[in-house]
Amino acid sequence: MKDNRLTSKEMAQFVASGYLKFEDMVPKELCDACLEEMRHNQGYLAVGTPFEDTWPKGTALGDAFRLPQVQGLIHSLVGPEPLYDHHAAHLTKAGNTKGPDMHQDSVIDFRENYFDIQLSLFPADTPDEMGGTFLVPGTQYRNVRTGEIHIYHHMRGKIWASCPAGTMYVWNTRVWHGARSNHTGQDRFMYKLRLNPTQPQVGLFDTSDLDDPEIGKILNTNHGWEGNDHRYELMQRIKQWRYVSDQPNYDVGERFMRRIEYQPQKASA
Amino acid sequence: MPAVQDILVLFQTTPALTANVVAWARYDASQGTGIPDLPDESEPPYANAMAAMRDGWQVIQMSELKHRSTEDGYELGPLPYQTVLSKFNELKEENASS
Repeated sequence: MKDNRLTSKEMAQFVASGYLKFEDMVPKELCDACLEEMRHNQGYLAVGTPFEDTWPKGTALGDAFRLPQVQGLIHSLVGPEPLYDHHAAHLTKAGNTKGPDMHQDSVIDFRENYFDIQLSLFPADTPDEMGGTFLVPGTQYRNVRTGEIHIYHHMRGKIWASCPAGTMYVWNTRVWHGARSNHTGQDRFMYKLRLNPTQPQVGLFDTSDLDDPEIGKILNTNHGWEGNDHRYELMQRIKQWRYVSDQPNYDVGERFMRRIEYQPQKASA
Repeated sequence: MPAVQDILVLFQTTPALTANVVAWARYDASQGTGIPDLPDESEPPYANAMAAMRDGWQVIQMSELKHRSTEDGYELGPLPYQTVLSKFNELKEENASS
């Protein structure tokens, strides 16, 4: 990340897929200290208050989410002064199995030109068999009521956290996701922190590569599950990209947004 | 042991029985009453509903086309179409953890 902020291409990837993964985000020693603190996790802090005022200082978790590279990530997506929404230390005990768990967090959220982020820190090595969180990339534009999508046991394009200690995922809170079985003899930890923006999420990332032609291809990503709906997904991504990049006329390829916007009869009326 | 109904649900983005499967779910009542451990699967058990039918699954529901309006024609939500298939399999004793 240049200046610790996301590049335009990384931001386009977030708009298309709803998540980004960064290995080596938190140093090993700090991860070990975070892991110890997570074992004594308390409940929510003051929901909806400024993160900087509310988030503990002088603790490992306090320091981890204030690392310059983490602050750059936060700034790029929700701005420099986000609100603390909530946090949780997710524990999947050794040998604990999970059935179908696909869900969208919290309650249904139709806010346009708006998204919250969730930072997921894996403070210990998390191999496949340990059951790292799964995500279905690109599903953030499909609003559903929390756990009603348990009915989707499997989905093409599903990925899951399989990563070394210190990896952080950041994701749009509307991405469909869930927990997986831990088939190892070790407990599995993930620490999540949800943040809200306090300003329009426009031009917050590094826009010096905004004209990179790769961006259109990134926005057009096919994750494997979109099928006949792919162009409707693309239109949602274009709408969000127009907003966050402050390019109200941006479009790609066949320019599907014209099917809504090109209306000469209105202009001449 | 008697044969009981297992259900396979194939989710698609068009309603045709030849449509590609993009998500899927199994409710194997012959095995138990819950799904205590869901192994990861990256590929569906059948490429489409017709492939499942050729393996002995019976279609008990297919989707109707949706009417689209100006209000919701571009809206996204749950996957739009599904095919429900049934097959009878021998009842097995339920595992205590099921």
